[in-house]
This record gives sequence, C-alpha cells and structure tokens, in this order.
Amino acid sequence: MSTTQRLSWRVAALASATALTAAGCGSGGGSEDSPDDPITIGVSLPLTGDFSEPGKGVERGYKAWAKIVNDKGGLLGRKVELKILDDQSNADRVVSDYEQLIGRDQVDLVFGPFSTRLVVPAARVAEEYGLLFVEPAGAAPEVFDQGFKNLFYAAPAVANDHYNHLADYILALPEAERPKSVAYAAMDDPFAQGTAYGLKDKLEKGGIKTVVDEVYPPNTTDFGSIAAQIASSKADMVVGGSQYQDGVNLIVALQQLNYQPKMAAFSTAPTEPEFAKAIGDKTEGILAPTGYTQHADYPSNKDFVEKYTEQFGKAPEEDEANAYTTGQVVAAAVEAAKCASQDEECQQKLVKWLRGNEVETVVGPLKWDDKGRPQSAHMIQQWVDGEIQIVLPEEQKEADLVHPKPKW
Amino acid sequence: MPSASLVFQSIVLGVLLGGLYALLAAGLTLYFGVMRVVMIAHSAFLILAAYLAWYAHRETGVDPLLTLLVTVPLFFVAGVAMQRLLLTRLRPATLTMMSVLLTFSVALVIEGLLGYAFSGTQRRIRLGYSSASLEFFGARVAVVKLIAFGLAAAALLGLYLLMRHSRFGQALRATIQHREAAALVGIDTDRIAGYGFGLGLATAAVGGTALSLDTTIYPSLHWHWIGPLMAIIVVGGLGSVPGAAIAAMTLGLTQSLLQLELSTTWAQTVFYVALFATLAVRPQGFFGGRLAQRF
Repeated sequence: MSTTQRLSWRVAALASATALTAAGCGSGGGSEDSPDDPITIGVSLPLTGDFSEPGKGVERGYKAWAKIVNDKGGLLGRKVELKILDDQSNADRVVSDYEQLIGRDQVDLVFGPFSTRLVVPAARVAEEYGLLFVEPAGAAPEVFDQGFKNLFYAAPAVANDHYNHLADYILALPEAERPKSVAYAAMDDPFAQGTAYGLKDKLEKGGIKTVVDEVYPPNTTDFGSIAAQIASSKADMVVGGSQYQDGVNLIVALQQLNYQPKMAAFSTAPTEPEFAKAIGDKTEGILAPTGYTQHADYPSNKDFVEKYTEQFGKAPEEDEANAYTTGQVVAAAVEAAKCASQDEECQQKLVKWLRGNEVETVVGPLKWDDKGRPQSAHMIQQWVDGEIQIVLPEEQKEADLVHPKPKW
Repeated sequence: MPSASLVFQSIVLGVLLGGLYALLAAGLTLYFGVMRVVMIAHSAFLILAAYLAWYAHRETGVDPLLTLLVTVPLFFVAGVAMQRLLLTRLRPATLTMMSVLLTFSVALVIEGLLGYAFSGTQRRIRLGYSSASLEFFGARVAVVKLIAFGLAAAALLGLYLLMRHSRFGQALRATIQHREAAALVGIDTDRIAGYGFGLGLATAAVGGTALSLDTTIYPSLHWHWIGPLMAIIVVGGLGSVPGAAIAAMTLGLTQSLLQLELSTTWAQTVFYVALFATLAVRPQGFFGGRLAQRF
C-alpha cells in the first residue's frame, strides 16, 4: 500500500512539475488569443487502473483527432495541443486533474474522460468553471439527471434508445410477420438493462406481449435455467440486455435447448471480435445495436478510418470513434463561435451553438436535448453470411435484415 | 405456475449443474480434511486448467478432454509441491487462518499471470458439439453438460474407490481422522498429506476442464466460484467428499428449481442461506462426520 501511495505522489508531483513548466513556456507573456498560440485542450483519462483498456482507446481517438486537425492547418488557424493527465481510474483524481487543467494550466477547452463514474465528477468541475463539457462515454441515465447545463454526450444515443431503429422496424412489419411475444433477459447493470428495457417499453406500447422478463446479477455463470424459461415460453423473439460473457453463455444455452426464435437481439456481445470465435458458425441472424462501425457511410468516417489506421496500424473501434466524435463536436462549435478560450462569454457561445445546431460526425449527424442527451439511435447490425453487417437504418445498410432469422 | 415440462427440464439442468458443483467442490473439502487448509486458490486452479484446455485447443485443435492427460499429473505434482514447500511452513497453531491468506495470494498470482499471458479478453472453447443436445423424455440435455457430468461422476467414483480400497486411501483417511494416531501406527503423515493435497489439485484439473466445455472464461472468473463452493463444503460437512457431493447436488437442484419462481438473483442466495442455516443449526455440516465438530 505504502509503495503505491508513494508512487502516486511521485506521479502527481511529476505531473504538476511538467504542467508548470509547460504552462510557463506555453503561455509566455499571457494567455490572450494570439493567432500563433496553440489552442490547448485539457483531458484527464484513466490510462492506468480499472478502465485503462478503454481509457487508452479514448486517448488514441483524441490523438488521432488532434493530428488530423493539425494536418489540415488547425482550428481557427491555430494548432491544437492536447494536455492529457492520468487519473488512474480514480474519481477523486479526476476532480483534481480537471481543477489543475482549468485553474492552473489555463487550458482553453476541455474534453471529457471515460466512463460514467468519472464523467459525473469531472462534469461538475467543468460546470463550476462554466466550461463546455463534451464527453465520449457516460450513456447511463444518471449522467443526465444531475442538471448539468454545459454537458453534451458525443455518441448517437443514450442506452435506452439503442434499439430504436429495430423497434420501428418491428412495429412497421405486417401483422402476420410481426413477433407476438418477446422474452427479455438483462444483466442487472444500468447500461445493459437500459438497452433491453428501452426496446421493451416501445414494443409493449406497440402491443407486443412480454412473456419472460428476467434480470440476472453480473456474476451469473450458469444460464441453463434462464434459457429453459425462455425456451419454454416459446417466445417469437428473444432480447438480451447483455455485456459480453453473459450474452455468449445465454446464446449457447438457448441453442442447447434447441430454442428457435424468429428474431434474436443482444447488446454488445455480437459486435465483439471474439464473438464468432466463441460461437462458431451459429451466429447467423443475430442482431445487435452498435454506436459505431468502420463501414458506416458518413462523410468524415472514411477519412477518419483511413488516417487512424495509418497512424496506429489498425482500424478504430467504438471508444476511439467516440473520442474522435467529441473532438469533432467541439471543433464544430469553435469554428461557428469563432473563439476558443476559457472566458465565460466564449464558453457560453459554444454551449449555445451546440444547443441549437446539428453536427456531422463519424457516428452520423448529432443533436442534443436540453440535458445533453443525443437525439439519434444506434445502427442495428446483423450477422449475415458469416459477417456482421449494418441492416438498419435504411440509408446506412450494407445488407437486408433477415427475418425470420435462420435456425441456429 | 410453470408447466410440468419446464419443471422437468429444470430438474434435468439442476442435476447436471449439481454434478459439476460436486466435482468442483470435491478437492476443496479434501484439502480441509487432510490439512485443515482453507484453499481459496482452488477455483483459481480450476480457471487455470480451463485456460490450459482452451489454449491447447486453440493452438493444436485437440479436444479439450485430451488435455487431462497432461493437466492431471501436472496439477498433482503442483499440489504436492505447494503443500511441501509452502503450506508446511505455516505454524500448526494458526494453520487454518494463515492458509486463507497464503492461498488468497496464490489465487491473485494465478489470476495476474493468466491476465498477463492471455489478456483479460473473455474466451470460450469453440467445439463442434457445443450446442448439440439430446432428447430425454421431452427435456433437452446438452452434450457438453452431459460430458461434464460424466467427468464429475467418473472422477468422484475414482476418488471414492481410491479412498476406500487402496492402502494409500486408508492412510489418507487415517490422517484425516487423527493425525497423531496415524503417525503412531507408522504412517508417514507428511508425505500422505502432500499426496492428499496433490489429489485435491488433480480434481481441480478435471473440474476446470469440465468447466471449460460450457463456460466463457476470464482471469477473474474464479471469484464468482469460490463463494458457492465454500458454502457447499460447509453444508456437506468439512472434509467429507460424499457430503460435499450430496450438498452440491441438493443445492444445484434447489437453485435450478428456485429460479422458476424467484429471480436469478434470489435463487443464487440459496448457497448463503444454506451456509447460514448450517452454521446456526448444525455447524459440523449435514453429512460430515465427527471431524468438523472439533472446530
């Protein structure tokens, strides 16, 4: 314990020392908007600790954004410069990090950190200083219940809206083809459950019956009994509010019971690269919502995928894309408001512009409600011909939605 | 009210699950019987065996069951080594308590090494027959679950025969019953204890392989298993392999049936309710012998 304590002190000391020197050199005579000064953007990310995997993904996304912007000549003719601190996945550190970035380092703008747990405390700091706060992660309802006025979530949809395209599709089906009963199984987790229950609410309103509604704790290892209840209900459709291993285990358990629904939709699991390796050739027809794919045909996405791959040697995933989206959103506001500095007037202009306008991003056009909730929906992907492909919405589709799905 | 066919299906699933629990818990109760050691790392070894099966399958395509030929002897030797080199160094007076700390650290080391070697990505062995099932009086029985059950039955039967009918088994039981007396009649109790520990770890190799057939594995999965397994061996009576098997079967079946009426969350608490009730009413366990009474 004492070694880590000492280590973190040393890290903190080092970070503040570098920050001081950087601030000393960077601002020089004063931090007024001179056309030669770079625009500094402060970020705190979980580069170590529990969220280090996605945290590093977000970092790569931000770095790709900065490089692409600078290669094109910067923002408002000024270069952008990221100042990234490591909060060690710790909610206390994230607060002091943002206080340091805003108060001492006098950054011009801030970007959000990763995960709901860190987004909420960080947003509170930005709110106190009156800064615009666009964040790449934090889709759970509590982020938007805090009364933040400067927060915007830079992704297509909050958890409950992930399945909106699928709900519309199902409710528009002719009576005979529409599933009549649905079985839901969701992990006891605000995000995973939110996705399944968002769809449930919409289908129930449309008159489609719920025959099974199971919630399981995150540590569930045996899915035999849940699968038996779903199979015995003979529901036309099964919906899993899943993360990864629970989704995979449930799908296999359902297959073992020879349950053959006409439609099967699971969150997260089917979009993971490991999914096909786990389930083999029995993935055909499984649906999943996704916030980002490299194949999406939005104007800036092709450019992003190409340049990102050039810079990092592999294609971007969702975390990277959401970070990049954050950059795009802030950049659009800066270009429109023609300013990038901490002063209140400028920040208010940025916030006000985002409230009223739509931004073109790599995850599609985004606009927000007054709480910062994005107003789009996730794309729906389906395993078709051994590959996961976009099937909804109509204008983005790579393949037709297969319904009823083939046997698994 | 659930239909009769659903109840029957749940009973079938419960029996299969109970069999797996019995195998996974067998080693745990054995360590305690022989050495008074609380082996927190048992489930970490299960996951290690599962990873070895997954890795061998991915690299060479061999059926995971064949890895048993390597992992069982390997784990036996590792068990003997762990007992001789680590656990015997603990002071007898505080052995039980200190073994919790020691094996806890072993579990952390295994988890860390698995994460280091294979990353935290969740893995699953992809078998041609992973979703195949047989019809059994209207219920479906998954082939992989049946194989796991078969492995459990074979391993437990083997363990029973070994304990009952071999000289080593007699010596082991004598050591369990009364260590000093066993030493007085000429049993090398230190060596027997080492072998007993190895035997327990060998069951972890079988159990982990059985687990790998039908589970998605990741390095920290073992924390989800150790709680229910500990509950099983206390209910069954510490140190009693048949007791653990009966308790595992009963609790597995109860869990499976309770899920029909209650939520999954509540059905899982059956282990802890049983643990609490056992400690309150019959601390020596329901099927154990005199052994546990001494604690």
